[in-house]
Amino acid sequence: MLKVKDGDIDKLGLLFERYKKPLFGFFYGMTRDPELCEDLVQNVFFRILKYRYLFRGEGDFKTWMFHIARNVNHDHFRKNKWKNKESLDSWEERLGTDENRATQFHHDEELDMLTLAMERLPEDKREILLLSKFQDKKYKEIGEILGCTEGAVKVKVFRALQELKEVYQQLEKHL
Amino acid sequence: MNDMHIRDLIQKFNAGNLTTAEQLEFERLIEAGQVDPATLEALAPVGQKLDSIEFPSPSADLDDRFYRMLALQKRQARSGFSWSQFFSWPEFAPKLAFASIALVIGIAVGYWVKPAPGPDVQYARVTNELAQLREMMMLSLLEKESATERLKAVNLTQEMHQVSNKVTGALIQTLNSDENVNVRLAALEALVPYAKDVSVRTELIRSIGRQDSPLVQMALAELMEQIQEKKSIRELQKIIQSDKTPEEVKDRIKESIKVLS
Repeated sequence: MLKVKDGDIDKLGLLFERYKKPLFGFFYGMTRDPELCEDLVQNVFFRILKYRYLFRGEGDFKTWMFHIARNVNHDHFRKNKWKNKESLDSWEERLGTDENRATQFHHDEELDMLTLAMERLPEDKREILLLSKFQDKKYKEIGEILGCTEGAVKVKVFRALQELKEVYQQLEKHL
Repeated sequence: MNDMHIRDLIQKFNAGNLTTAEQLEFERLIEAGQVDPATLEALAPVGQKLDSIEFPSPSADLDDRFYRMLALQKRQARSGFSWSQFFSWPEFAPKLAFASIALVIGIAVGYWVKPAPGPDVQYARVTNELAQLREMMMLSLLEKESATERLKAVNLTQEMHQVSNKVTGALIQTLNSDENVNVRLAALEALVPYAKDVSVRTELIRSIGRQDSPLVQMALAELMEQIQEKKSIRELQKIIQSDKTPEEVKDRIKESIKVLS
């Protein structure tokens, strides 16, 4: 990244290849919309290029990138609040009832159900779990992204996991 | 807080038996780093499942879009100049700093290496000093007892291009009160170039009534005629009415009044 900062913007291609998948995964976990995710990933790399001078090289690039990703995600949903509400409604319609949804899964049932449980979580809890997953549980770095302490991140992850477990168990009962 | 109590809380949590107060205490322990949420049996299965979730990969379309954007940015960077880029702060800041430093250095160098005042400036300064010296000399000569010295003083003013109020004041004083007629005439002659000045002109009119020498009176009348000063008529008439005035002078002054009125 420091080379990109110094003007060798070709090197951004390497970073893109390395991080496009986790970044896409993060956005996918948040939105469930592959096309939108691609837009958001593109937007993150555009911002990285535009604000490359702000990267001080003191911390981890991945942490900085997820910080930008989080802002991109928030900006997108702030701008499209109304539209998103509509799309979430239609998404719920498409999901149908929990029972119908559960019967659709034949393979990797548990993981599909967990994915469904993730969708049911509030946005902040979904976000912290995804950050924890894609940041390899580096709570200190996640704290830098969220602007809170490592301890606070641990508590947030703990609460989010607790809620995820509860939602998951409720879905299990319908099977 | 002892380890036993912590282990007890962990067991209660795993069994799902924590009270609300214990839950809060448990969260405080997590925050303090005394309990690692990743090691909790009750959350391990859901945590592991979360770790094993595979999200889909982006399509090739994302690659196309990204590399198109990168190529565009490279082209823009290479194509050189753009005002928005020039003034974009991260790039503009060092330029501004460099320009400011260069300006300060330039001013400092300019100040230290500036040449001594040119010949013109020096000449003007010497001329000015000389004029001041002349003025002083003229004013001190006017104080002399000798009429010749005082004449010299009055003549000195003719060599001056520009005289101060102090000099014109001294000349008027000489015109009004010098005992020697020749000196007074010379003073009047010296004042002619400054007769355009309102204050000098007024003093010249006043001076008419103070003169007792017919030569000076006639010279003043001629001057008034020359500069077409109608306000002097009253003063000139006083001379005509005076018994002390010789008839030739009266005639000459009458001619001047005629021209003026």
